[in-house]
Amino acid sequence: MRSPFHSEQEAFRFLLLLILGLLPIVLAAALGPTWLALVVLAVILGVLALRVAQLRMRKVRGLALPVKMAPPHMGSAAERRVLIVANDTLGEEALLSEVERLACVPDTRLLLLVPALISPAARLTGAIDGLLDQARARLKTALDRAAHGLVVAGEISEADPLEAIEDTFATFAPDEVIVSTRSERAASGLEPRLAGLVRERFAVPVRHLVFDPGSAVQEPDRDTEARYRHEFGDAAARKFGLKALAGAGILAAVLMSMVALVQSSERDEARAASQAAEQAAWLPPVAKLVALKVIAASKRGPEGEKHDAFTTTEFAVRAGQPQQLRIDNTDSVPHSITAPAAGVNIVVMPGTHTYTLLVKQPGVFLWFCTFVCDEWAMQHPGYMSGYINVS
Amino acid sequence: MLIEHPDEAAGLAIASGLRFAGYAVAVCPGPLGHGQCPLTGPAGCAPAHDADLVVCSLGYERVPAREVLRELRTRYPDTPLMVEVPSDIDADLRELLDGCHQLPASATPEQIVAAVQSLSGRAVEEDHAGA
Repeated sequence: MRSPFHSEQEAFRFLLLLILGLLPIVLAAALGPTWLALVVLAVILGVLALRVAQLRMRKVRGLALPVKMAPPHMGSAAERRVLIVANDTLGEEALLSEVERLACVPDTRLLLLVPALISPAARLTGAIDGLLDQARARLKTALDRAAHGLVVAGEISEADPLEAIEDTFATFAPDEVIVSTRSERAASGLEPRLAGLVRERFAVPVRHLVFDPGSAVQEPDRDTEARYRHEFGDAAARKFGLKALAGAGILAAVLMSMVALVQSSERDEARAASQAAEQAAWLPPVAKLVALKVIAASKRGPEGEKHDAFTTTEFAVRAGQPQQLRIDNTDSVPHSITAPAAGVNIVVMPGTHTYTLLVKQPGVFLWFCTFVCDEWAMQHPGYMSGYINVS
Repeated sequence: MLIEHPDEAAGLAIASGLRFAGYAVAVCPGPLGHGQCPLTGPAGCAPAHDADLVVCSLGYERVPAREVLRELRTRYPDTPLMVEVPSDIDADLRELLDGCHQLPASATPEQIVAAVQSLSGRAVEEDHAGA
């Protein structure tokens, strides 16, 4: 795949498209429910996949415009540069002889390009070393045989053969291209229609050498080339169509699962919220702020004596919900509301202050004052002790 | 340089000459090559748009070739055209060729390269004079 960072302009365009693609997803996620963002994501991925498929099909079918291109000649005017593209046929005696013959022609420079033919699956799994080693071994054998030092160079490419040739036009600017294939495509071989694709794209002479076991090298005529284009083009289009269909199916399944998952989690959340609301409706109402006082020797006990007391000693609160207590401690010393089992310890200072009573778990908890004041009152609920009722 | 030539081998021969003269080339067979020329549609022709010079050798006794030439002149008026013209030119073609650089039909690739080089040299000189 071509890198989107090939040039500054392409990198900028890629970044702009990325932002434009992400913007609707972010907006949908921010302004609407999560499933809407997923739908927008699915639409954008669908459009992207269609565009990629369109470009790929164009590549498979051939160019829309019948325009061939070529860069200016490189090197001196007398120099002739020949690019030889081969893979599994690189060991063929006839091809090696041709390389040797060309290498002996004065002012001729040769470049052997060996596309490693890495499939998308191999690229995805990273299992490319074997293919690269195989291509390297074939190139080394050919270079050892040609043995013309600087005149013959070799290059392995991990890219698609046509892209590799295109790259070589930028760096080597060949004046002629020789494409070597078999008449039927082998697993590690170039497609026979490659020569036709190169001829269609580049404004230099292209020779196609076809090798088949047990027969002499052939140069196919125009009709045979057209047949190669037709047969292998259709096969590639069919293969790509099936792959695209499978990919679209997988993508649709993943997106539908994600939408279902999000919708299910949203339903669960809504159900939990509705249950909580129902529960809250059944519970007794809780005041937002409770005002009370602590007054010394203010409340008469059953024995007839007056004791220190809080004016309110029963607190009804909700678990996990803070309850504000506005306490006016008219005494000159501090007191407290302490319930160890509930994790509560509020020190009530003299004067009027607001405190927060927070209990996390439901239950009924005894509280008492821990400051030594009125010993009897500290042990009797309704005086300097009481209950916190947490629902 | 954009070379418009209906014959593949002849187009490549001109392209080769121009490449060795130091020019990047594009070769198009014109409307006869593919059956549909983008110049006759709304899209236009990107190679013609990008070209510094168009070498037109489509055989202008034919109507589709004249249409291409007309479109080139209309859409890209600033791009110089070098046209291979037949010996007998009718009034319509004469009008169409007004302002184009002309070469006699069946010019050899060497003649075309020399004409392009001469034209480019003149353009460079004019640029220098202008500066």
